[in-house]
Amino acid sequence: MAANIQPIVRLKNVCKSYGDHQILKNINLELEAGKFYTLLGPSGCGKTTILRTIAGFTDVTAGDVEFDGQVVNDLPANQRQVNTVFQDYALFPHLNVAENVAFGLKLNKVPKAEIDKRVAEALAMVQLADFGDREISEISGGQQQRVAIARALVMRPKVLLLDEPLSALDAKLRKDMQYELRELQQSLGITFLFVTHDQEEALAMSDEIFVMREGEILQGGSPVDIYDEPINHFVANFIGESNIIPGKMIQDFEVEFVGKSFECADAGMRPNEAIEVVLRPEDLDIVAAAQGKLVVTVDSQLFRGNYFEIVAYDTDGNEWLVHSTNPADEGEPIGLTFDPQDIHVMRLNETEAAFDARLEKYEDD
Amino acid sequence: MQRKQRLSRQTAYFIPYVLWIGLFVIAPVILLVYQSFFDINGHFTLGNYQTYFSSNTYLMMTLNSVWYAFLITLATLVISYPTAYVLNATKHPQLWLLLIIMPTWINLLLKAYAFIGIFSQAGIANQFLQFIGLAPQQILFTKFSFIFVAAYIQIPFMVLPIYNSISELNPSYVNASKDLGATSWQTFSKVIFPLTLPGVKAGVQAVFIPSLSLFMLTRLIGGNKVITLGTAIEEHFLTTMNWGMGSTIGVILIIAMVIIMSLTGGSKRRTKRGLTK
Amino acid sequence: MSIRNFKWRNLYLWFVFIVLYAPIIFLIVYSFSKGETMNNFHGFTWAHYQDLFADSRLIAIFLDTLLVALLSSILATIVGTLGALGISQTTRAITKNTLLSLNNILMVSPDVIIGASFLIFFTALKIPLGFGSVLLSHIAFSIPIVVLMVLPKVQEMSRSLLDAAADLGANSWQLLSQVTIPYIMPGILSGFFMALTYSLDDFAVTFFVTGNGFSTLSVEIYSRARQGINLEINALSGLMFLMALILVIGYYFINQYSSRHRHASTRGRRK
Repeated sequence: MAANIQPIVRLKNVCKSYGDHQILKNINLELEAGKFYTLLGPSGCGKTTILRTIAGFTDVTAGDVEFDGQVVNDLPANQRQVNTVFQDYALFPHLNVAENVAFGLKLNKVPKAEIDKRVAEALAMVQLADFGDREISEISGGQQQRVAIARALVMRPKVLLLDEPLSALDAKLRKDMQYELRELQQSLGITFLFVTHDQEEALAMSDEIFVMREGEILQGGSPVDIYDEPINHFVANFIGESNIIPGKMIQDFEVEFVGKSFECADAGMRPNEAIEVVLRPEDLDIVAAAQGKLVVTVDSQLFRGNYFEIVAYDTDGNEWLVHSTNPADEGEPIGLTFDPQDIHVMRLNETEAAFDARLEKYEDD
Repeated sequence: MQRKQRLSRQTAYFIPYVLWIGLFVIAPVILLVYQSFFDINGHFTLGNYQTYFSSNTYLMMTLNSVWYAFLITLATLVISYPTAYVLNATKHPQLWLLLIIMPTWINLLLKAYAFIGIFSQAGIANQFLQFIGLAPQQILFTKFSFIFVAAYIQIPFMVLPIYNSISELNPSYVNASKDLGATSWQTFSKVIFPLTLPGVKAGVQAVFIPSLSLFMLTRLIGGNKVITLGTAIEEHFLTTMNWGMGSTIGVILIIAMVIIMSLTGGSKRRTKRGLTK
Repeated sequence: MSIRNFKWRNLYLWFVFIVLYAPIIFLIVYSFSKGETMNNFHGFTWAHYQDLFADSRLIAIFLDTLLVALLSSILATIVGTLGALGISQTTRAITKNTLLSLNNILMVSPDVIIGASFLIFFTALKIPLGFGSVLLSHIAFSIPIVVLMVLPKVQEMSRSLLDAAADLGANSWQLLSQVTIPYIMPGILSGFFMALTYSLDDFAVTFFVTGNGFSTLSVEIYSRARQGINLEINALSGLMFLMALILVIGYYFINQYSSRHRHASTRGRRK
């Protein structure tokens, strides 16, 4: 269904390198109208570079950047229909709040009356209606953030690019801004492409997440898909907390790890193939040792407020992280139980395409 | 295509500056060195350097110039370090600093001229000597007056870099030193002074090099009792018209400057204060 | 003990302060004295100022000095600002450091070296000594200070400011005129004021390259001072003190302006 819609932005086989250093390796990406996308990855993974190639600040070494089906590789930044919210906001210190927001409209020779109207609207949209006359130095970081958003939105872009815009805010403000950004995106109905290294931020706000590492997109999908079915060790580790245990696929829907075999929901692998198993800490339940599917020994625990974080070890020496509402006794053995669908099996070195094909195959059965 | 355009625009507005470097920085230095190999009749010769290194007059003049520059620098340092130190402890150090620096905005010549009046036979300095019961002295046109006025003029240039390094000094170091049992003097000599040494070096550089070349003070205040490298250069260029010899001394002065700069590290002279040359 | 200590410290500061200002005040006080020497105050008079304003040669020199100062500092500011922009755009560290070292040569060179080498230079190029050679020299030795004042502002400017402006539709001319120049304006103004004071204060370089027909105030004061005391010079120093004061105040306000904006931009970046 979604595949039929013409994407607003499409990157086709985009590569970028500086000398011998490859920043982007064959990136393919499609952004549809009205969705909230996130590029997620550790620093230096190339996510900001993707943003810059779309904005037009960086040219691509190979491949195409398309807007509405048109290649725009050679179109300079000032003629592209996207706008950017920068990590350091990049507000002009010699202009006040309203002048900053009006900057782009003035360059485009929009009539004065309309500028005033649109600036007022944009400031109202980010709840800074009365701040037009303030100097940039007089407002707080969170307010500067909003001005930066208003300055970009006032241009009515089809796509808004946000380069780690929340990273400079403190934790509380960051949470508030997550809600606000999400609401803003939904009420405006324009496409947001958001760059972050914070997986919580990505999970909370996005319609779709692209997880990146070393210039490649490892996996793209909805937050739930990526959380529940990470494609590999890196994604599983980067998104949320995980127990990643080496194991063996006995046959379809049967997996072996820590010397025991378990029923699972995965299929499509070779018999006895070496695999890795992901079990999320919150999916593990603590029971008496005798009733556990697995028996582990509690090593240490920390009280995290709404749960206890328990670290335990199995007989093979694997570390197990368990989130539990009840404390455990350090040094004592405990039993762990989990449902078959809580087990997620990952093949080693599987590509995203192969992963999707395999998933489709056995889910259709 | 786009990149090429950007490049050409960049070079276009860079042209005047690069031209300036070529014409007014590199060319004059090369011409000075070139000129030092010509005698007064325009013949190529190594004679200027032979004359310089075999003549007692020139060598003594150079040594004298270095010696006086040293005395001036020392006098300036002795006055300026405590000034900077006390300055830092005041309630409004920036205001005091501004007050100390302000005199550098007054034309150098006028300050020298003031001392012609102050140090003259019947001037206020001698009136003061008489007042405290001493005989009037010949003050103007002595080596003392030269050193005094030169130091007077240069004090702000020494205070500023020293003040900067003192004010950047983290007070925790001083507290740590005292906490570890150092006396005030030990704290100063073992902690504060070593940490503010970069400022002292910058100040020494800022004072020593100009002191080698001050020529108008030797004429107006020193009464030609002191001949500096600068005086000699001026003499050869504008009076005896022996540009070759003048350039040779110029090359010597440049070498002296390079030595001092390498001893005091870097070139950070007189940029921040932003006042006279 | 600490009170005593504090007193001594302030006393020293006041002593240095008085020593620094006494000669200047002395000079100005005697500009109002009847008589011909700076030895005894003989009563108040404006006579020396009247002499000064009647001295058409000195007035002409004064105007020439101002003209050279203004022209040279404007031109040096333009060339220096373009230079700073150029230096900041060089990508290779070696190129940048070489340019900066070359830039600083005239800052550290003694005045006599600059004067003598410029004299050789002008003579070699057959440029007649006079207004032109003095103007060229003043531009030349003022450029490096302009670069040093402007460059930090250029480097402090976040790259994303230019990206943001381009993102909002600015072409390269608009980037320069609407973002870069306004942003670095405090540096440009400081550079201009520095160049102005350099030019007004210069004696040694001008002395070498001025030739016979043309003179600036510094050179004129030097030649008059060599002939002894003349209270007309005191009157002149009174006027120049006023001028310096205006410059100091002007410079102070520029600094205030620029520090306000510096404050703005650092805060913007951190929070």
